[in-house]
Amino acid sequence: MTRFLVRRISLIVVTLFVVSAAIFAITEILPGDVAQMVMGQGATEQNLKHIRETLGLDRPAPVRYLEWIGGVVRGDMGDSFVQKIPVTEVIEPRLANSLILAAFAFLVAVPSAVAIGVWMGVRHGSKTDHAVSVGSLVAISLPEFVTGVLLIVVFSSFLGWFPSSSAILPGTSPLTRPLILVLPTLTLTGVLFAYIMRMTRANVIEVLNTQYVRTAVLKGLPMRRVLLRHVVPNAMLPTISVIAVNMGWMLGGLIIVENVFAYPGLGQLLLTSINTRDVPLLQTLALIIAGTYALSNLVADLSYGALDPRIRLT
Amino acid sequence: MATTTTATLETTTRSASAAQPLLKVDGLSVTFFTPTGAVHAVRDASFEIKRGEVVGLVGESGCGKSTMAYAIMGYLPGEPEVGGAVYLDGQDMAEFGPAELRKLRGNRIAMVYQDPALALNPTMKVGHQILEAISEHLDLDAAQAAQRMAELIESVGLPDPERIAESYPHQLSGGQQQRIVIAMALACDPDLLLMDEPTTGLDVTTEATILDLVADLKGRVNAGILYVSHNLGVVARIADRVVVMYAGQTVEEAPVRDLFKDPRHPYTVGLLSCVPKPVADEGAVTRLQSIQGSVFPSTQADPGMCLFSDRCPMATDRCTAEAPEPVSVSAAHGSRCFYPHDVSPDLWNESVEREAPHENGKEPTLTVKGLHRVYGKWQRKYLFFGPKVKPPVRAVENVDFNVGAGRTVGIVGESGSGKSTVARSIVGLVPRDSGDVELRGEELSAEADERNADQKGSIRMVFQNPTSSLNPKLPVRHNILRPLQKFTDMSAKEREERACELLESVGLDASYMDRQPLQLSGGQQQRVALAAAFAGDPELIVADEPVSALDVSVQAQVLNLLEDHQREKGTSYVFISHDLGVVRYVSDEILVLYAGHVAECGPAEDVLSAPSHPYTEALLSAAPIPDPDAIPTPIRLGGSVPKQHEQFKGCFFASRCPRKIGDICDNTPPPVQTSPGSPTHEVHCHIPLDELERLQSSPVESRA
Ligand SMILES: Nc1ncnc2c1ncn2[C@@H]1O[C@H](COP(=O)(O)OP(=O)(O)O)[C@@H](O)[C@H]1O
Ligand code: SF4
Ligand code: SF4
Ligand SMILES: [Mg+2]
Repeated sequence: MTRFLVRRISLIVVTLFVVSAAIFAITEILPGDVAQMVMGQGATEQNLKHIRETLGLDRPAPVRYLEWIGGVVRGDMGDSFVQKIPVTEVIEPRLANSLILAAFAFLVAVPSAVAIGVWMGVRHGSKTDHAVSVGSLVAISLPEFVTGVLLIVVFSSFLGWFPSSSAILPGTSPLTRPLILVLPTLTLTGVLFAYIMRMTRANVIEVLNTQYVRTAVLKGLPMRRVLLRHVVPNAMLPTISVIAVNMGWMLGGLIIVENVFAYPGLGQLLLTSINTRDVPLLQTLALIIAGTYALSNLVADLSYGALDPRIRLT
Repeated sequence: MATTTTATLETTTRSASAAQPLLKVDGLSVTFFTPTGAVHAVRDASFEIKRGEVVGLVGESGCGKSTMAYAIMGYLPGEPEVGGAVYLDGQDMAEFGPAELRKLRGNRIAMVYQDPALALNPTMKVGHQILEAISEHLDLDAAQAAQRMAELIESVGLPDPERIAESYPHQLSGGQQQRIVIAMALACDPDLLLMDEPTTGLDVTTEATILDLVADLKGRVNAGILYVSHNLGVVARIADRVVVMYAGQTVEEAPVRDLFKDPRHPYTVGLLSCVPKPVADEGAVTRLQSIQGSVFPSTQADPGMCLFSDRCPMATDRCTAEAPEPVSVSAAHGSRCFYPHDVSPDLWNESVEREAPHENGKEPTLTVKGLHRVYGKWQRKYLFFGPKVKPPVRAVENVDFNVGAGRTVGIVGESGSGKSTVARSIVGLVPRDSGDVELRGEELSAEADERNADQKGSIRMVFQNPTSSLNPKLPVRHNILRPLQKFTDMSAKEREERACELLESVGLDASYMDRQPLQLSGGQQQRVALAAAFAGDPELIVADEPVSALDVSVQAQVLNLLEDHQREKGTSYVFISHDLGVVRYVSDEILVLYAGHVAECGPAEDVLSAPSHPYTEALLSAAPIPDPDAIPTPIRLGGSVPKQHEQFKGCFFASRCPRKIGDICDNTPPPVQTSPGSPTHEVHCHIPLDELERLQSSPVESRA
């Protein structure tokens, strides 16, 4: 276990380094820099030079990168080029917003997907099962920007039940206007739900065919007990790690959904930071995303190890 | 039941009239409907089980044994058509509704399965799995139920019930898992216990201890036991009566002694004469008989004739014109044959004497010297730092042996003793760490990839699972042509001809050339694998459990094939098997391996007769003998082969040796003793050979 953690955590640290270096290199290669983005087309050489000097952009790239990394190691993520305040202050409220959206999506998708997946698995082959299977395949294959726009057309433009934009004033919490969360949550939930549901269903079918389930039936247990005690726990093992892996995977969806609905979360911030070449902000966001991804994979493996007595993590 | 104390258990004792059999199966038939057509799994089965009786059910695979067991349980997949009737204590089981059936299962009828590792829920503690059965059917409070569970665990011979109950299945050995399954089946004092091949996946040593347990149960619980097995030796050891099944029909039924001594159906005689026996008898000098052909396919409807007629040496015109009904030949003995009185025990046995093996020439084909193999490396707690946490496994240590031209060396030992590792190091699938492997005095590289085509073609391997030797995705033709192409310089036409010859030599006609391996039966696949192995005329064939997955009749065919090929071509074999009877039959020399060490080696008869190494003795004592009069030897090995991490300080067998003599065994590696009469016979033990001989030939002392 210790060995496992040591290996995985060192791996995560290495990954984060590689990610940050790669992002830094990419921003170096991209045409234009923050000075130009801030000053616009009409900026004079003089102005640009001044800004570059104040931001320290005139020094060689490797030096800047090492300085930034040095700061990160000490817990200082640097200041945003554009907003001129510490990156952490820019990110904090946005992070909270994104977490709220992600949490809602999870709370909606996971329990319902698992429950329906188990049910479909038990009655696999029935008409309902076929219908739901096809539906979930469609949901998986539709990208978020399509589902998002579809939902806006139906529920906002057509039915007028929910606002089409989820923008809120800076400094306010989305929880004060819960209605704006509905459509983004639904969009984000779609793929997640379909994916977990299918996984659960497949696992339930597999476990139903195992010999230990036969043993349980031939012990004379009622079917309800066989399902609850033998089928569901074993079918959930692989599902749980899929769910954990999905936490990281959902970030991708989050970026798209936030932009479709103009929701002020990390995803939107990420696009802004790319457009303005706000390197410290972009770097930090990239680290957060990569870190979440890596951590969710670790959580997936740990939860599997904790739940399945056969697995010893080494 | 001696171990139960709670008064509530008396509720499970049921009245039974003495006249009625506990279970009566009457003309049972089961037909499954599959997308490819009807499958007649059971056609016509009738037999009875009385209380306190063990009925053995034997027959080749596919004869419908398991289907019958599950049919009795009322648990069949899909919606099969079931005919005939099953009576439990005189009551027709078809009258039970789902709820009544559920109350019966695990309570009055309980089952033990073939593969305990798969039959137990991997994520639930075993104690809990037993408790479930108790609390579902018995009216006990939590404390009583827990006590009952502990008693059950103890009653199946497991020590330390508290610890065992808290274990997950994977933390137990195969034998322990099967004991748990048996404890679960005994939870509610069942009237009927159905055991479906309960020892098939276990080592002989473990099998012997489980059979002892079943024999013990017979005396303890007042239940009827149906014991399904394909192994006649196992049935001979524990059954009171035996029912033989063929192609879904019960074809013979008799008390165990009558069945083995005076069989009245040609199929039973055939089964009995294709089993090689582990103890000294005439069997090793006469050729094994094999029942040619295969079981009447279950996909065919009843043709209105004797289903065995195409394989039966006694078949007459009447046999193909009309179907025989079971007739009774004596009070308790029935046979489904028109001529039960003409059946003689040597019906199949023309007692063809075996050709003598090739002489052991001067230069051996294969020489293995000081073979070592360790799996894995030391692992440290923090990747590169910290204490060492996981040691490597020493799978094979210092193994030496020779295989003479045209001769067979058999390797025996329990699983984990290193047999497969030795085999794989010879062919280079698992590189050795040190030691020499020489082919005709020429040193071979450790890795197969570094050997030249000639060397690779000279040593071929056959696996237990034929699909590991073959490419299952490509037709038989390709599988045989490929080695011909690689290892011979024949023209395309010659190769094609040779491939047909090879197929014929393994008893398959040319029409099999274009079949896919997966469409063939296990026995046919294994014969194709042999044809492919024979293809490049190898000097040595290394066969790792080549017949273990096959039925006895097919096993005999394959063994005879191997022998014919050897006599004709002078090929040498390394033959691995856990079945001492088979090893004794095929081997000229035997190597007994334990925990990667040679315990004993030498000429087959010398190794298998006293004086033997205590480990060989234990293996022999465990081996089931297909003779109900064989006196069971009492030596049993508990536990399993240790996973060895360090070099042994003393004797490698000291932790399980029933004949251990003291500290010397723990502290000093045993010397190599050779018999005066047989200089190549080596025994690695501290006990002097004459003392071993004395101990092993006096039954009284061995019981001590
Ligand atoms: N690939 C492997 N990795 C680690 N240990 C192995 C491996 N293969 C075999 N072993 C170990 O080596 C020992 C001998 O195994 P094996 O050669 O398979 O014996 P057998 O053929 O008698 O079953 C056992 O302890 C087994 O667990
Ligand atoms: S009835 Fe005829 S074919 Fe069938 S077993 Fe008897 S002799 Fe053989
Ligand atoms: S040396 Fe001792 S422990 Fe080893 S086999 Fe002989 S008696 Fe048993
Ligand atoms: Mg093996």
